[in-house]
Amino acid sequence: MAYGSKNAPITMEVFSDYQCPSCGNLYEQTLKPMINDYVAVGKVYLVHRDFPLSMHKYSGDAARWAKAAAVLGHFESVEAALYDNQNFWATDGDIAKYIAAAVSPADFKRIEALVKGCEGPAIQAKSDRSSPLPPDAHPCALDTYIADDIQLGYKIPVQATPTYVITYKGQALPPGSGPVSWQVLKQFFDSLLSQ
Amino acid sequence: MSQSSRGRLGQILLIVGRLYLAAIFLIAGYAKIRPQLAMPWSVASIRTSLALFAMQVDSYQMLSPRAVNLLAHFLPFFELFLGLWLLSGIGLRFSSLAATLAFCGFMAAIASAYHRGLQINCGCGIGPAEQVGPGALIRDGLKFLPVALAVMIGAFLVHRRRWAANTTEPVAARPQAE
Repeated sequence: MAYGSKNAPITMEVFSDYQCPSCGNLYEQTLKPMINDYVAVGKVYLVHRDFPLSMHKYSGDAARWAKAAAVLGHFESVEAALYDNQNFWATDGDIAKYIAAAVSPADFKRIEALVKGCEGPAIQAKSDRSSPLPPDAHPCALDTYIADDIQLGYKIPVQATPTYVITYKGQALPPGSGPVSWQVLKQFFDSLLSQ
Repeated sequence: MSQSSRGRLGQILLIVGRLYLAAIFLIAGYAKIRPQLAMPWSVASIRTSLALFAMQVDSYQMLSPRAVNLLAHFLPFFELFLGLWLLSGIGLRFSSLAATLAFCGFMAAIASAYHRGLQINCGCGIGPAEQVGPGALIRDGLKFLPVALAVMIGAFLVHRRRWAANTTEPVAARPQAE
């Protein structure tokens, strides 16, 4: 799940949890302007990685909905819907309502069918960093994608969400975590691009 | 232990403490300005490192972006300056006081971030990346701050003793009037 061109000089991978308030703030205040200003013109390639935390009841379900939307090419609008309405679905878990409002009825049915194809509770990152998938599980494709992101996050290691890894011309900087304002992040990108 | 050997031991401890503090500040300052991603040393690469440090300062969410930039461009050089000042031993009372205040400031920022539930990197520049929280507070509170306090108190005591000796010596040495 990514925005922009893979050939952009800067890649920013963000490990996030749709129910985490800091991730919501990062998306609303930093990533949205970044997508408009830097991703759209090919300066930055933004990659979303799922890292649903077990402390958030509905984060795994939200990740499933977003992955299903990404498979069908609707990630951008669904991600925006999830973060824009985080305060609402985080209380009652009614994620479907906001996805339905973000895409056409036909697309919603296809996304919903993919999500319903997954059995059992949604997977989440574990505090002991063990495999997010049970050993004898037969996960759906969505859960496999999410588990891959979580395993990648364990390697970083992601200790909190959001955690971001910035790569410039193939070389990764130490991971950063927490909120960062667009003004300050933009200044860093500009200094990298001026090298 | 005689008074003179006690005094010598105190002086040695003061030197060791001073060098320890100097090393901490020099390492912390260097870590913040050294070029990232195998870039060569240049004004541009230092600017990039400072911009990266600004992101860490910003993650504390205590300052406006303008103030974040000012602090991010001032702090690493202040740390290097303080490290060199401590290393020189000149005006140790004041350099150790500055070090103590700096540690108090760092600890207050870490405690504030932890209290507000921020899960961010400390950005301290010493050792591996560490999250703000009890670990970083214990490190600063047990390993750094007590040394800075001890050096500061020692430096003030030495200064007072020297000052007392200087003010009493001429009187004692003054020849008795006939």
